[in-house]
Amino acid sequence: MPNIAVFIEQRDGKFKKVAWQMLSEAKRITAASGGEVWALCLGADASGEAARYGADKVFNAGGESFATYNSELWSTATAQFCSTHKPEVLLVGSTAMGKDLGPKVAAKLDCACISDAVGLTWADGWTVRRPIYAGKCSIEVEPLTDMAVVGIRPNAFVLEENAAAAAAEAFSPDLSGVDPKAQVQSIEAVGAGDVELTEAEIVVSGGRGIKGPESYELIEKLAAALGAAAGASRAIVDAGWVDYSHQVGQTGKTVGPNLYIACGISGAIQHLAGMSSSKCIVAINKDANAPIFKAADYGIVGDLFQIVPPLTEEVIKLRG
Amino acid sequence: MKIAVCIKQVPDSETRIKMSGPTTELDQTGFTRVLNPYDAYAVEEAVKIKEAGGDVEIVAVTIGPETVKETLKKDCLAVGCDRALLIDDPALQGADEAAIATVLAAVLQKDSFDLILCGIKSIDDDSGQVGIMVAEKLGLPHVSTITHLELGDGTLTAHREIEGGKEIVTASLPALLTCQKGLNEPRLPSLPNIMKANMKPIETMTCADLGLEVPAAKTKIKMYHPPAARGACKLVENDDPAAAARELARLLNEEAKVI
Ligand SMILES: Cc1cc2nc3c(=O)[nH]c(=O)nc-3n(C[C@H](O)[C@H](O)[C@H](O)COP(=O)(O)OP(=O)(O)OC[C@H]3O[C@@H](n4cnc5c(N)ncnc54)[C@H](O)[C@@H]3O)c2cc1C
Ligand SMILES: Nc1ncnc2c1ncn2[C@@H]1O[C@H](COP(=O)(O)O)[C@@H](O)[C@H]1O
Repeated sequence: MPNIAVFIEQRDGKFKKVAWQMLSEAKRITAASGGEVWALCLGADASGEAARYGADKVFNAGGESFATYNSELWSTATAQFCSTHKPEVLLVGSTAMGKDLGPKVAAKLDCACISDAVGLTWADGWTVRRPIYAGKCSIEVEPLTDMAVVGIRPNAFVLEENAAAAAAEAFSPDLSGVDPKAQVQSIEAVGAGDVELTEAEIVVSGGRGIKGPESYELIEKLAAALGAAAGASRAIVDAGWVDYSHQVGQTGKTVGPNLYIACGISGAIQHLAGMSSSKCIVAINKDANAPIFKAADYGIVGDLFQIVPPLTEEVIKLRG
Repeated sequence: MKIAVCIKQVPDSETRIKMSGPTTELDQTGFTRVLNPYDAYAVEEAVKIKEAGGDVEIVAVTIGPETVKETLKKDCLAVGCDRALLIDDPALQGADEAAIATVLAAVLQKDSFDLILCGIKSIDDDSGQVGIMVAEKLGLPHVSTITHLELGDGTLTAHREIEGGKEIVTASLPALLTCQKGLNEPRLPSLPNIMKANMKPIETMTCADLGLEVPAAKTKIKMYHPPAARGACKLVENDDPAAAARELARLLNEEAKVI
């Protein structure tokens, strides 16, 4: 009977979708195996939403310490929660915050830590499935400690509303002994309003086939029409056409959207590494022998400059 | 100022994984091993700090087999690290992140480093855990995923990449940082410097030399799987590119149901 704790990430009161995806999956697991789903939210009250996605109990901690993310304060609070309530597993999103928090909490609790998981099953113990070598293979890992911290990749789990009458419980961590030696002074938005790559349900990426920085606009327009994030190959990042934050691949971001559209990208092994777990892959490339077609579900052999604009128009029509 | 750079040797990003089905062991024959690309940013940043002046010593620290010496020489000592520590202990082969972090923390504890630099993640196990765990074990503040660094007097300011922006973070020294692309442009070693690197010391040790028991694993890999197979690519063929585009949109909408 596993009790599953889920870290509900928020910044400025805005919750991350991956938190609801984790709750949905946790609920599917406990529905079959018993146990409870606990939502832990630092710095905001997540009671309403957490209940909607299946939390049995919601623990909200407020106060100045949780106004902005702080690794030392937040990890101390989270570790205290786990020591007190002893969930069998703590799920955190594989986001900038979760990747920072998870290993620190695990080190505090001296327990197993498994990053960037895409599957989780319980049968008298956990089996965690995760890609390694940037998706060139995947592993089944088993934690050997009583508790485990598991990072969950955004979009790995399907959202499911499962209204429960979650009980809100008090949680007031004792942070008196913590004097943070690292502190966030400010946050600067870069490309505000963009859909975040790693969380996007659709990604449209451009590669060297776009010929120059000015045509990246074609990619952005198709992305905007689809409500998608805009990605890039390393070739056009290194050429300075777009910022590194757009790079998809082994040394860029790993994405696993429902739909990935690669425009003018050859499909080098390091690029495939970052996107091959996408559910549906589309390639638009003028070279019929480009390796990207081996990874794709749909493709057009042709000139992206003649294909992407009408595709964008058609998408706008379809999505009305 | 004393800087430690934790580096790992990993299979080249070109590496293809050979497996025909699920297996309990990964066939690693024929892998070409290189410096983890993210650790190159850590090395470069340390060297830049040294070049900026002052009395700076850079120590490259790694856990791995004897063969890591090549990487230590070519990619660390030849580009400006002063010496290297290699923990070569067969008992650590296949060790998990927590065990690696425990051993690294024990090594780093023996000296007083002002700054410890790591990569954000290694490109083989893709974990991104070791640096943050080392900081916690040493009781040091850390800033992860940095793309910019300025050192002050006993302090640092770093930019940390987050979704849609960056955090400006300050920390007191000593501290641990994990380095992300964008921080700098790693230099390549020159031939004369590779020759000179042969003169720089590489100290090799085992867990026993450190007075450390081999840490127990906290995770166990049960099975390796090849990626799920994909069906053949459906090519949309039409001499009119606009018509092909429309047909593609229709397929994505009606057949794949993804838009
Ligand atoms: C250590 C290391 C790490 C790396 N990490 C990454 C990574 O994270 N991400 C990544 O992407 N790469 C990475 N790479 C680089 C990778 O090996 C490739 O060089 C890169 O992905 C190529 O980018 P590209 O497909 O845009 O360019 P190219 O390979 O030059 O391909 C351009 C494609 O555009 C097509 N094309 C040209 N004109 C048109 C047109 N008008 N219409 C349609 N198609 C057209 C061409 O047929 C070609 O297939 C890495 C390399 C190394 C060594
Ligand atoms: N065996 C090792 N020896 C030294 N440093 C390591 C080792 N493994 C990981 N690291 C450091 O920890 C970072 C993150 O690694 P990982 O948690 O394995 O993804 C790497 O970029 C290195 O800086």
